[in-house]
Amino acid sequence: MSTHARKAPEPVASVITKPLPAGLQETASSEPVMLRPLLLPLLIGATCLLCLLPFALVLVISLGEKIEGAAWQWALDFSQYRRFFVGLEWPDSVSFLYSQKLFYSFYYATVGAVLAVTLAFPFTWLMTRQSRQLQTVWLVVLLSIVSLSEVFVVMGWDVLLSNRSGLPMVLREAGVTGWLKDNGFFPLLREWGLANPRDLKFKTSGFAVILTMTYLVWPYAVILLFPPLSRMDNSLMEAAQTMGARPMTVVRTVILPSIRIPLMGTTLLLFVFLLGVYVTVSVFAAPPQQTLTLSIYQSIRGATLNAPFGAAQAVVLLVSACLCLGASHYLANRSKSRS
Amino acid sequence: MPERKPVTPNTYMNSNASGIPASPSRRQALKLGAGATALAAGGLFSIPSFSADRTLRIGTYGGYFENSFKEFVYPAFTEATGIAVESVTQPNSSDWLVTMQQAAASGSSPTDLSLFARDTMIKASRIGGLIAPLDLAGNSSVNNLEEVFIYKPEDDILGVGAMSWFVSMVVNPDQVDVPASWADFWDSENFEASLGLSKLFNSFLLDITAATFFDGAATLSSKEGILAVIEKIAELKSNVALWWSAESQMEQAMKNEDVIGGMYFHDVATLMASDGFPIASVFPKEGNPQDYGSWCLSPLSEKSDEAKEFIAFSCDPSTQALMSRKIGTAPLLAQSKTDLSDDEFTAVSGTPAITPAYESYLDNETFISENWEKMLAS
Repeated sequence: MSTHARKAPEPVASVITKPLPAGLQETASSEPVMLRPLLLPLLIGATCLLCLLPFALVLVISLGEKIEGAAWQWALDFSQYRRFFVGLEWPDSVSFLYSQKLFYSFYYATVGAVLAVTLAFPFTWLMTRQSRQLQTVWLVVLLSIVSLSEVFVVMGWDVLLSNRSGLPMVLREAGVTGWLKDNGFFPLLREWGLANPRDLKFKTSGFAVILTMTYLVWPYAVILLFPPLSRMDNSLMEAAQTMGARPMTVVRTVILPSIRIPLMGTTLLLFVFLLGVYVTVSVFAAPPQQTLTLSIYQSIRGATLNAPFGAAQAVVLLVSACLCLGASHYLANRSKSRS
Repeated sequence: MPERKPVTPNTYMNSNASGIPASPSRRQALKLGAGATALAAGGLFSIPSFSADRTLRIGTYGGYFENSFKEFVYPAFTEATGIAVESVTQPNSSDWLVTMQQAAASGSSPTDLSLFARDTMIKASRIGGLIAPLDLAGNSSVNNLEEVFIYKPEDDILGVGAMSWFVSMVVNPDQVDVPASWADFWDSENFEASLGLSKLFNSFLLDITAATFFDGAATLSSKEGILAVIEKIAELKSNVALWWSAESQMEQAMKNEDVIGGMYFHDVATLMASDGFPIASVFPKEGNPQDYGSWCLSPLSEKSDEAKEFIAFSCDPSTQALMSRKIGTAPLLAQSKTDLSDDEFTAVSGTPAITPAYESYLDNETFISENWEKMLAS
């Protein structure tokens, strides 16, 4: 498609509803006309350079050949992909080790994103009903949580879940651990990996991973849901209530459908964000439940220096994520056209 | 072999009252390391600390390890030889190998001497063009080291040992009796969901298991042997509460009593014990694995004479003792050759030592890592 066929970008001032100060308007209108046709090709070029080129490099590296005991060399070898899907020793034996890791990447990201949005929705709804001042305070608090890096969050939960100073200690001191032991719940908890013969334990466990991941993205969910919820027209809900709808019915039939698209968008964004989480999984997940992110890092920078296999795993993760996003987009469109 | 930065007493004391280490976490360290690597590769680290005519750029693992070198070892070397040292931060051994590969391609090396773990050094020599032969003629102090610490794959010496460390059996003596053998860890009566072991395939659990239940390194020389050892380790899984990948994880887990035993670095465990935490570093009857780092010269370096002088200095018994006292590493020579007291020596070393099957880890690295991962994931 020719770039000339496209409409030239509108001046900034024209897409903003409020009029800009006089000085800014002057700047926008005095932009050299000569530069405008170049802007789009430049942006496309920059996107290619920053996004597509690294990806192309990863793709090419994934076709490289590993040299045992050394590093790797450029080649046209698809064996890394074969290793991913059926294991190293195929056809003698089949292993779905890396598919299992891929599954856990998606599992944690899905559960974390859905939980965060589920918990953020009622919170944000109540927040938007508060005074303007209180809303601002909440938003500032949320933004400061967002500024914490994953490392700090994980460190915090690590202490909160640890045996001597965290949740197991609280439950022990409160007599819950003793009660669970006396009433025969311990064997079941041990089976679930949430206890050892002496105490309750929450590390390492799927519980700790999901808890931390949900905590990590929950503030983002609130911040993303805040604008659509605060813009909601109260008269819609009042009308529903006047017609006899109970509060939960109002939520189900009025609020949720009207913010369906932001809800979906938020969940997908958080899902993509959680696919790449590293520290949480490396600290809280037991090896059988670890994700592809760890395996990619271990292949590329770990002792084996197997960059082609790391790259192949990255390509599979990316393609799977794209397929997943494409599928949700398709489903969203289909449900939209039905309704 | 396990990527580690031997820790000084300072590291441990930098933990605050709640037991949270003040030192950066692994993720931060990696980020910092990556940044430092990029800067180092760009030559931006090459800020001369002295205006001396003779200088040498030496890479060591960043953090307290490098700081201790800068504080105690390099000044002593400069005083003895007049050669100024520019310290360069290495994130660890295998990441540094990637940096050195890139440096070789660009024709400019960020260091003259690098510190490589044994497996990385062998890997670098197999890749080729990353390590220059060392001419150690007339360097008598190198003879102080035990022969195993001089890496001479063919005719040339490619690496000379710098310092070593042990990965030992640790237990919480308040919670459990001190075991006499590694085999005791397989006993679920005492250790169900209670151990902290390293998650990395090349962190010596294979060597420990081979030494305990099989014929040691010989068993690891064949694929059948490797599979048998991995199968034996699989029996241990129900007793493992934490498969750690960073030292700090295990340190916290022992302090918080999330685990009551496992494998950990002897020097740090000794420091923790001396500070009152319930941890005992034990040398069971099979022994503990001993790993070591080596000084390797970059082929792009023009400072081979200065490097030779530094290596001579490093091999000197007094320098080895200095490193044991200030950095917590084990000397690469007999205690009798140093002036270390018995207490000082046992704080950093012990017997017997298990020598890791380095060659097998490299010859079968994809095979071992895949089967190790399968065992962990099953």
